[in-house]
Amino acid sequence: MQRRASARAARRSSFRAVLPALAVTLCTVLLPSLTPARAADVEVRVQDPAAKGVPGIVVIAEPDRPTHDRSAVRTAVMDQIHMQFVPNILVIQTGSAVDFPNSDQIRHQVYSFSAAKKFELSLYEGHQYPPVLFDRAGLVTVGCNIHDNMIGYIYVTDSPFFGRTDAAGRVVLHGLPAGDYTLTLWHPGMHEPGGKTLHAKLTLAAGGARAQQLFKLTRPLLPDMNATGDMGSMRWAQD
Amino acid sequence: MGARLIALALLLVAAPVWAQQGIDGFEAGIDLRAVAASGARSFLDGGLGDLRFDPQHSGARLDSVWLDYNGSLHDVVHFVADAVAYADGDRYPLDLTQAFAEWRPYPLGVWRSRLKVGAFYAPISFENWLVGWRSPYTLSYSAIDTWVGEELRTIGGEYDLDWLGRQRGHAWQLGVTASLYGWNNPAGTLLALRGWALHDRQTTLFGRIGTPGTGFVRGLREFYGNFGGGPGYYVGANAKHRGDLELRVLHYDNLTDPSRYSPALDNHAWHTVFDSAGGSWTPTPRWTVISQWLGGDTCASPALACYQFNSAYLLASWQRGADRLTARYDGFQMHSYSGPYANRNRGHAWTFAYQRELNSHLSVALEELRMVSSLASRRFVGEPQGLAENELQLALRAQL
Repeated sequence: MQRRASARAARRSSFRAVLPALAVTLCTVLLPSLTPARAADVEVRVQDPAAKGVPGIVVIAEPDRPTHDRSAVRTAVMDQIHMQFVPNILVIQTGSAVDFPNSDQIRHQVYSFSAAKKFELSLYEGHQYPPVLFDRAGLVTVGCNIHDNMIGYIYVTDSPFFGRTDAAGRVVLHGLPAGDYTLTLWHPGMHEPGGKTLHAKLTLAAGGARAQQLFKLTRPLLPDMNATGDMGSMRWAQD
Repeated sequence: MGARLIALALLLVAAPVWAQQGIDGFEAGIDLRAVAASGARSFLDGGLGDLRFDPQHSGARLDSVWLDYNGSLHDVVHFVADAVAYADGDRYPLDLTQAFAEWRPYPLGVWRSRLKVGAFYAPISFENWLVGWRSPYTLSYSAIDTWVGEELRTIGGEYDLDWLGRQRGHAWQLGVTASLYGWNNPAGTLLALRGWALHDRQTTLFGRIGTPGTGFVRGLREFYGNFGGGPGYYVGANAKHRGDLELRVLHYDNLTDPSRYSPALDNHAWHTVFDSAGGSWTPTPRWTVISQWLGGDTCASPALACYQFNSAYLLASWQRGADRLTARYDGFQMHSYSGPYANRNRGHAWTFAYQRELNSHLSVALEELRMVSSLASRRFVGEPQGLAENELQLALRAQL
């Protein structure tokens, strides 16, 4: 009986001794499967044929495995100033909304017949409508039915990892988990041999190091000539 | 009378729309000028000078007051009415230059139809795209667009079909235009009598051109009768590339019977046929380059006097912020090729303009226009056929 008790005590004592080691082992084995690997940043630079940075390029890192991360859903704004959509390019995550105020002194009539989102906003000035929900991925082209030169683009993506290149042609996408991605570059003025879109594969290993990717365009962007200047009080007739 | 009825009907239709939709579409403005002009007496005052002002009409003056309306009904029918009161007088103190309704539905896919009915300008000018058919570039329009403003008005209907390729990611938007119209039988009179001119006085729908009973252009009334057959037509096409380039062509034939004569207007019916082509190019956001060409002929009885005419211009405009500088060169010619009333006109003009927007309601413009021309018919009013005319204008424009 005493032997049996001492044996139980010895087992407890040895269990206590291995517990910390077991805990470390469990953490090492189980944690990678329970939480994402340490997130990485991806820096994308886009250069024209003269090695100058290209601003305004839409850059999207889309995980090859579908993601349920909706952390980038938001309400964006596309204003109308001097007969232009401002900004004229937006990139948003599926489920986001876009507000379309009209800051011009003339009325606009915003519409889209793109497959990803069809909508119409009847003639208006100021801020008359609630934000429009974009719940399907795809490229949405918006226009004004009164002023045909007004063209805006809304790139709707399922990925939460996106941005646009800055004045130096650079954008950093933050917090991407390890895994395989497709990098997509898009701009309406891009006219590469493959069209307005470039793709590249990207694999991020666990460890959180910053990945870098350089894209060199073979042709400069077509200039955006929609700007009609800023003589704000001039009243345009319709197109 | 028909034109009067159409305009009246449009105003009656538009009136309840004003009440429903509010009057946010009204704009009013006033145009004050200081003018220093040299050359012959203006055709507007009984002479055959080709500019709006002459030495007898130099100095500070009220130029005009304008009133523009733009309204809509059920979102897809739009109404436009532009009225002006010229300080140098007309038949009525306030008169319309345009009044029309446009059905402009949302696009069906990549296609969109438009239908205009009323009195409006044919799609010829690349200069006059501001409300009221005014120009943002110069005070005086090109020779081509001056003539369009003087003698051409579509009083009828116009149908446009647009292919909105840019909405599908293409670089181009394409369109075709077709129109049937009446009440334009006298179009061509001014070109044959006076030749080409440069100014910004749009003829009103019920108004007149020139001083009644004086000189060659003796207060001609332009839009009062549909006495010469017809209806006339025009067909055209246009292409727009990415917002940096727009091209248009148009063929116009008023299908007038030149043997007709209107005692009420004291004018013959002029069979006028012409082609027009033009383009606007914006190589950078600050620069705009515009060029237009128009050429054709016009004939009227008795004895079927016929005149061939053509003109072209090149305009370059630079804008930064509220400042705009514009230079334009116009070349033009007209000559008779049959009938007993020989006339010949040839010349060119340089126009330099600076405009500044002081604020959203006030702008100033300074313009120097030099026109060198020969016109055979000037001998009938005792003036030399060859003439160099200068016109320096300072304009102050205020708008609500």
